[in-house]
Amino acid sequence: MQMRFEHFAITSMMGTQDAPPRTNGALCFGHDWERTAFGVALGLSRAGYFEWEDFRQRLIAAISCWENNHTFDDPSWNYYECWLAALEATIVEAGIATGAELAAALPPPAGGALKRSSAPSTS
Amino acid sequence: MNNRFEYPGDREQKSAARAKALEALLIEKGVITSSTVDTVLNFFDSKMGPFNGAKIVARAWVDPAFKERLVADTPGAIAELDLPEGMAGAEGEHMRAVANGPGVHNLIICTLCSCYPWPVLGLPPYWYKDPTFRSRAAREPRAVLKEFGLNIPNTVEVKVWDSSAQIRWFVVPERPAGTEGLSEAELERLVTPEAMMGVAVAKAA
Repeated sequence: MQMRFEHFAITSMMGTQDAPPRTNGALCFGHDWERTAFGVALGLSRAGYFEWEDFRQRLIAAISCWENNHTFDDPSWNYYECWLAALEATIVEAGIATGAELAAALPPPAGGALKRSSAPSTS
Repeated sequence: MNNRFEYPGDREQKSAARAKALEALLIEKGVITSSTVDTVLNFFDSKMGPFNGAKIVARAWVDPAFKERLVADTPGAIAELDLPEGMAGAEGEHMRAVANGPGVHNLIICTLCSCYPWPVLGLPPYWYKDPTFRSRAAREPRAVLKEFGLNIPNTVEVKVWDSSAQIRWFVVPERPAGTEGLSEAELERLVTPEAMMGVAVAKAA
């Protein structure tokens, strides 16, 4: 029997820095939008819009970016903010939607959650 | 330059609005449907997870003959149960159960990275893949179990099972005392992933 995509996608993340939060053997979502971001990413990759590994590399980059700009114990850390930023970047890169489409359809990102290269300079 | 950021109180709402707008855009473009997210999550909520292991263990508690078959031929015994299709999957084929008993306590560890039996146990806790946990559990399991709050008497043998690409182990904990009157469904709720890893014992509610 073929391994289910969902199974493959999550086990590929276990034991790595991009592994999703979990509790008592199950995925752990703090808010409904985190569940949405999770499901959209897996659903798109399962349908073949992008390779799961490509999304993972974006996620790892988003997490590294956050870590480089925050202290290790910063309590404002939110795994799924990095996930959402990685998902948006992957969607644009895969050509599913353009950056302009996202900019038009989406409200501005949570302020300063991730340091974006496109963010206006504060200096 | 100051790299610290201000965190507006509406940060959570902004992320929520953005995630929902992204989903709506993709639905509008016909890339996904309104049920895509639920379909993905349904897999994790109902198809694969520690609830499967709990059903297996509860059956072993109420049916000693099943427990014997479970230890002797784990995939065969699991196939007897009405578990979600594919639970035995690519990993389940190699699953092996070890049963705790009066003179023996089992602990599972894993020195490779992809061999956690998560169709049965769910997703591994973060410390499970920690090299320190793995090496210490192999070297001094009693000390590690003590740190988990589990004092195993010296009269009880501690066996450590190292999962590999070939065999993924899980533990059948002992049925807690005082649960004689409970139904199988009630017993399922007493079975935790930790108990099936051997870092805890099942307790009566």
